[in-house]
Amino acid sequence: MFKDARDAQIAFLGMFLVLGISTRDWTIQPGLMAAIAASCLLTQWLAQVVIPKLQGQVIKLWQLPPSWKSALITALGLCLLLRGNHYWSMALAGVVAIASKFLLRVGNKHFFNPANFGIIVALTLTPDAWVSPGQWGTQAWYLLLFLGAGGLVLKWVGRWETSAAFLCTYAGLEAVRYAWLGWTADVYLHKLMSGSLLLFALFMVTDPRSIPNARQARVVWAVLVAWLTFLLQEEFFLTTGMFWALFVLAPLTPVLDRIWSAPQFQFTASKESTPLTT
Amino acid sequence: MKPLRLLALLGSICFLLAGLAPPAAAFCGFYVSQADASLYNQASQVVIARDRDRTILTLANDYQGNAQDFALVVPVPVEITEEQVNVGDPKVLTRLDEFSAPRLVEYFDEDPCNPYIYNSAPGRGAADTSAPIPEAAERDREQSLGVTIEASFSVGEYDILILSAKESSGLETWLRENDYNIPRGASRVLQPYIRQEFKFFVAKVNLEEFDRSAFQSLRPLQIAYESPRFMLPIRLGMLNAKGDQDLIVYILTPSGRVEVSNYRTVPIASNVNVPEFVEEEFGAFYKAMFQKSYETEKKEVAFLEYAWDMSWCDPCAANPLTPEELRQAGVFWLGNNNGGDRRLPPTPGPQNVYITRLHVRYARNKFPEDLGFQTTGNRENYQGRYVIQRPYRGEMDCDAATDYREYVRDRQEQELDTVVKLTGWEKSDLRSKVDWLDEPQQKPDPEPWWRDIWNR
Repeated sequence: MFKDARDAQIAFLGMFLVLGISTRDWTIQPGLMAAIAASCLLTQWLAQVVIPKLQGQVIKLWQLPPSWKSALITALGLCLLLRGNHYWSMALAGVVAIASKFLLRVGNKHFFNPANFGIIVALTLTPDAWVSPGQWGTQAWYLLLFLGAGGLVLKWVGRWETSAAFLCTYAGLEAVRYAWLGWTADVYLHKLMSGSLLLFALFMVTDPRSIPNARQARVVWAVLVAWLTFLLQEEFFLTTGMFWALFVLAPLTPVLDRIWSAPQFQFTASKESTPLTT
Repeated sequence: MKPLRLLALLGSICFLLAGLAPPAAAFCGFYVSQADASLYNQASQVVIARDRDRTILTLANDYQGNAQDFALVVPVPVEITEEQVNVGDPKVLTRLDEFSAPRLVEYFDEDPCNPYIYNSAPGRGAADTSAPIPEAAERDREQSLGVTIEASFSVGEYDILILSAKESSGLETWLRENDYNIPRGASRVLQPYIRQEFKFFVAKVNLEEFDRSAFQSLRPLQIAYESPRFMLPIRLGMLNAKGDQDLIVYILTPSGRVEVSNYRTVPIASNVNVPEFVEEEFGAFYKAMFQKSYETEKKEVAFLEYAWDMSWCDPCAANPLTPEELRQAGVFWLGNNNGGDRRLPPTPGPQNVYITRLHVRYARNKFPEDLGFQTTGNRENYQGRYVIQRPYRGEMDCDAATDYREYVRDRQEQELDTVVKLTGWEKSDLRSKVDWLDEPQQKPDPEPWWRDIWNR
């Protein structure tokens, strides 16, 4: 159906965005989304076209940057998650998200999830940016849709165990906590049935380019992210706990890559060498 | 035993001030009416003033029964001492309610035959006492139940205990033995709070103080505390609830809008044109619309009714609160300049206070978790605002009049459809209420225009 997994991801994220805007009363305005998209794509173009050209590479200035699809995925992720009042806040998020891919690298691999990096920078440095954890509500059909779409993409890129490890660990920790507190099962289920949590688990924690390469490393890493998310939410009452957990643990990726080595993920199918795409 | 109203926080005495607020005018239409909290029978009203981890929680009280039967149990995340409790002024709740209530505004069509005419109306814009009453003889019993009285004091007309407990069953037993008639099953809901080391703020009315005071109803209780938890416990209050409960939360912050973090926050339908007859029944209209929206959203969201910088309003349903009123509402970050520099005029300028009014209608099956909140930097203003566009009904004698009448009748039809869609009311019932702008006055027997004026 799609040539590479990114096409599927763009299609799904685009669909969620249309769905969110049309059925969920989101406050995001078209202008702000345009600011995000423009800043992401321009930064990608700057990094992959303009700067190489200035460095003397033979490259056409007006061509699409090779990884424009990744930039678009980052832009869609930011549109889905980040909220703000000002263009410059959104543009800042877009610029630093993409710039982080080129500036914060170990070897030839970036380790921050670009959209997550942009979100954290915007939350910390701007007065107006925020994320709305309750924005999807808890209606079952959204959750099923996310699960279905996420499952397809994950099967494609071979990162389903990362989502599973994250969700199982998080759900397990919350189960223990809620049982110990004495809340009934419906309180626990309400806590888990959050559209934002699922989107994070299926589409953000699993970014194959920035997370560890080896499967064992990814499982360890996802368990750690889930544990820290739980800790930040329940002990520090941070509603944005999952984004902070991912941000804080991202630098662990190069360390885990060193411990468990495996070939790096490539999106283009012809060069594919990751375990689960065959 | 005293019937207990768990978390029975309540509404201000709206009738005292209703009607006193002068109609105000502004660029956004002329304010004509509002749908305030008095519409709802059992609406709890809570004010949360919060800056970083610091919170002042105001629990308004519209308790209708005998003062001697009143009791309140609220889980609080930290220990509370006497000086952290205050009895507030109920008027502040009324002021907040009036300032932020959904509003009806009106505009007037121009005479299509003299389009230059434009009507513009002028704009108009606690004393604390303390009397610790330790009950030494009962200490053994408390210990055996695992209940500790952390503090015991009186503030205004309230006797207050701060309890901590080890076991929920012990707390339930203690409350029963001390004449708090708590519902069956309470211990199951008390347990999670105990495990999270919440304390229990327990208030009863001190009848002597109450009789001595000039107040006819119970005043709001205010609690100041510091905790990173930004939430409102609603589960205890559901224990003895019959049907849906209404909760109106006014949240005041220096930064911006507050939203619910574990449920959706949905802005209530706003800025819609409604027929003229809605003026007479704006309360009923808003109530019906709220109920319809509540059902459409599957009864599982919080509604945003107002979000605004408190230094101004447009149109104003009531004047913005003065710095002193804001302080009474719990706003603690404005600085203490009461009575200081007299050269400064008491104008309500920029105050760095942003209000969010959330209206939550909840029941046990759809709201299993307590409400969690988060402050955002969102300063985009929002208000529940409904517009009446009044047709020009004066004498029209020009060609444009026919087109104008036709246009207005279409508009009236649309307005009717809007109301039907928003409220679920029957269109056929409403048709006769519309004052249709009919075809030219083809009255069979036109009276001379001067006859009415002298009334002969």
